[in-house]
Amino acid sequence: MLALLLFPASAWSQTPTSNPGSGETTQETIPELVQQIRQLQQQDRDLQERIRILEAKQAPTAPATATEPASSSAPLPAPPPALPQPEERPAPAPTSASVPHDWHDVHGIQFRGFGEVDYQALNQRKPELGTYGFVPGSAGDFYTGDFGLFLTSRLTNKTSVLSEIIFEEGDAQSYKVTLRRMLLKYDHNDHLKMSFGRYQTNIGYYNWAFLSAAWLQTTADRPLVMEYASNGGLLPTQAVGVSITGAIPSGSLGLNYIAEYGSSDTIRPDLNGDGLFTDENNGNDFNVGLFLRPDTARGLQIGTSYYHDKISNNLLATFSGAPLPPPPGSPGLSARYGQTIVNGYVVYVAHGFEFLNEGFLIRDAPLHFIWPVFNTPAFYTQFSKRVGHLRPFFRFQYVNASPNNLIYNDVSLRYGPSFGARYDLNDYAGFTAQLDHTIRRGEPDLNGLQLQFAFTF
Amino acid sequence: MRLKSIAIPLLLGLTSLGLAIFSPPPPVAAQASDIAVIVNPGNPVTNVSLGDLRKIFSGAKRSWPGGLPIKLIGRGPGCPERFLLLKLLAMSESEYKQYWTAQVFRGEADAEPLIVPSVGMQKEALKAFPGGISLVILRDLKPEMKVLKVDNLLPGAAGYPLH
Repeated sequence: MLALLLFPASAWSQTPTSNPGSGETTQETIPELVQQIRQLQQQDRDLQERIRILEAKQAPTAPATATEPASSSAPLPAPPPALPQPEERPAPAPTSASVPHDWHDVHGIQFRGFGEVDYQALNQRKPELGTYGFVPGSAGDFYTGDFGLFLTSRLTNKTSVLSEIIFEEGDAQSYKVTLRRMLLKYDHNDHLKMSFGRYQTNIGYYNWAFLSAAWLQTTADRPLVMEYASNGGLLPTQAVGVSITGAIPSGSLGLNYIAEYGSSDTIRPDLNGDGLFTDENNGNDFNVGLFLRPDTARGLQIGTSYYHDKISNNLLATFSGAPLPPPPGSPGLSARYGQTIVNGYVVYVAHGFEFLNEGFLIRDAPLHFIWPVFNTPAFYTQFSKRVGHLRPFFRFQYVNASPNNLIYNDVSLRYGPSFGARYDLNDYAGFTAQLDHTIRRGEPDLNGLQLQFAFTF
Repeated sequence: MRLKSIAIPLLLGLTSLGLAIFSPPPPVAAQASDIAVIVNPGNPVTNVSLGDLRKIFSGAKRSWPGGLPIKLIGRGPGCPERFLLLKLLAMSESEYKQYWTAQVFRGEADAEPLIVPSVGMQKEALKAFPGGISLVILRDLKPEMKVLKVDNLLPGAAGYPLH
C-alpha cells in the first residue's frame, strides 16, 4: 500500500514541469503524504486490533457450522469454503440483539403508488354511465381514473398492515377518496393466512390479480363483469370482514383454498345512464373457493368459487340518494333476494403469454315472495403475448342479464371484442391503446377508443 | 476447382455441426460455477426440492416448515445468481420486476426481495434474517453460509441443477 501510494507521488515529483514553483511544492507534499500514510497504517492497526477483540468476544457464542459428512455428499471440485453440514444439529438462530436494525424493510411504512391518464372516445353520443372521470355523451375526453396510494407495514414477523387509498375522479373533475383495501394480515404459515378488514373479494381470478392499478392490467379497462361495483360492475368486489387463504397439502397439485366472510354493502350505479343507483343492502356474505397451481404446468391456475349473500334492489335517486319507489308490479321496497355467484376459471400466465378465461353465473332468487329466479351468465376470455416491450392483446366479453331482472336490468345483454396493445416504456410505465366494439340489446352498437398511460412509483 | 473449394469447407462445417448436435454431452463434472442455495445458519432445513425452490423465489411459498417467514435476499441485475434466478422462474428481468411489484400490490408479499450489492452483505443479511435465503455462486461461498441441498444434491455434485 505504501509503495502504491509513494510510486505515483514520486513519479509525479520527477515529472518535468513548466511551473517554476512546483519543485518546492513537491518537496513539501512528500512529507505530508508520508505522514498521511503513517496515520492510515496506524488506523489500520487499530481496526485490526478491534476486530481481534470483537472476534474473541463472539467466539463462545458464534453459530457452529460443520461440514457435510463425506459419505453423504458428493465431492466438490475445488474446495471452496467448507460446506456446512445440514444433518447436524443446527446452530441457534441469531438473537434479536444481533440483528442489525438498519435493514429498512424490517419496520416502517413502505409507500408505493400508481396512477393513470386516459383518453376515451365513443361513437355514440347517447350517454351511458361515465366512470373514472369520463364524461358520458362527449365526443371524447381526458380523465385520470384511479390514483392510488398503497401502504404496507410489517408489525411483526407474521403480522402486517396493508392499505390502498384511491383518489378517483368523478364528475366535473371532482375527486373522491376511497379506502379500497385496509387489512390487518396475519400469516401463520403457508397453510393459514388471514386478513381482517376491507378486502377485495376472491370471486374469480381478475379481482385478485389486478386490483385497482391500471398499470397491472394488460388492457385499458377491466372486463365489465369484473368492474368495480361502485363503477357499475356486477359483482360485489369489496367486503369488510375476514379473508382466509392457504395451501392444502397436495404435493405437486398445488391446491389452495379461500374462505371469506364479510359484508359488502354495495351501491352500484346503473350502466345505462339513467342516473339511478341500486342499493343492494347486502347481508353478511360468504365466499369459498379452491384453486390449483400444478408444479408440472408452471403458470397454469385453475380455480372455482362459490359466493352467497342476501341483497335488495332498492333504487336510489341520482343526486339526493333518496330511496325511490319500486317499479309498478315489482316486489315491494326492500324485497330480498338470495344471490349466488358461481365462478370458474382457467388461467395461464408464463413465458410471456397471458391467457385468461373466466365464467360466472349470477343467480338471483327471491326470498319470501313470488317472483322469477334470474340467472345472469357472464364470461370473458383474454389473450396476449409479450413481444419485446409490446404486448398485443385480444379480449372478448359477454354479459346477459334479463331485462326483467330488477337488479341488472340496466346491464341487459352486452358482448363484443376488444383489441389493442400495451407498450411498456420501462419497468414502471406503460402505454395502452384499445379499441372496443360492444353490442347491446335494444341499443346501437358502441365503438370506443381508449388510450391510457399507466404508471407505478 | 471452384466447386471443390466450396464443397470442402461446407462438408467440414456440416460435419462439425452434426458432431455438435449428435455427440453425447460431456459428462457433467463438478463445477465451481454452480450456484449454491444458502440460508441462515440457524435454519433447520437441509434439503429443498427444485419445485419448492421455484415456489420460494416466486413468493408462492412464504414460510419455512415451522412457520418462520421466508426472507428473499438477492443480487442485482447482471450477477450470475440473478441470471440463474430468472432462468429458474422463466422470466425476463423486466417481467421479474413487474411480477414483484404486482405481488406487493396484491398483498402476497410485504416487499420485493432484498437486493444486496456484495457477497459480504449477502452473508450479513442472512445472519440478520433468520428466515433468509439466497443464491451464491460456489466460488464466493463463505464459511459461515449454510448450504442447502437441492433435490438431495450439494453444489458441485454431478446432476446438481443450479448452474
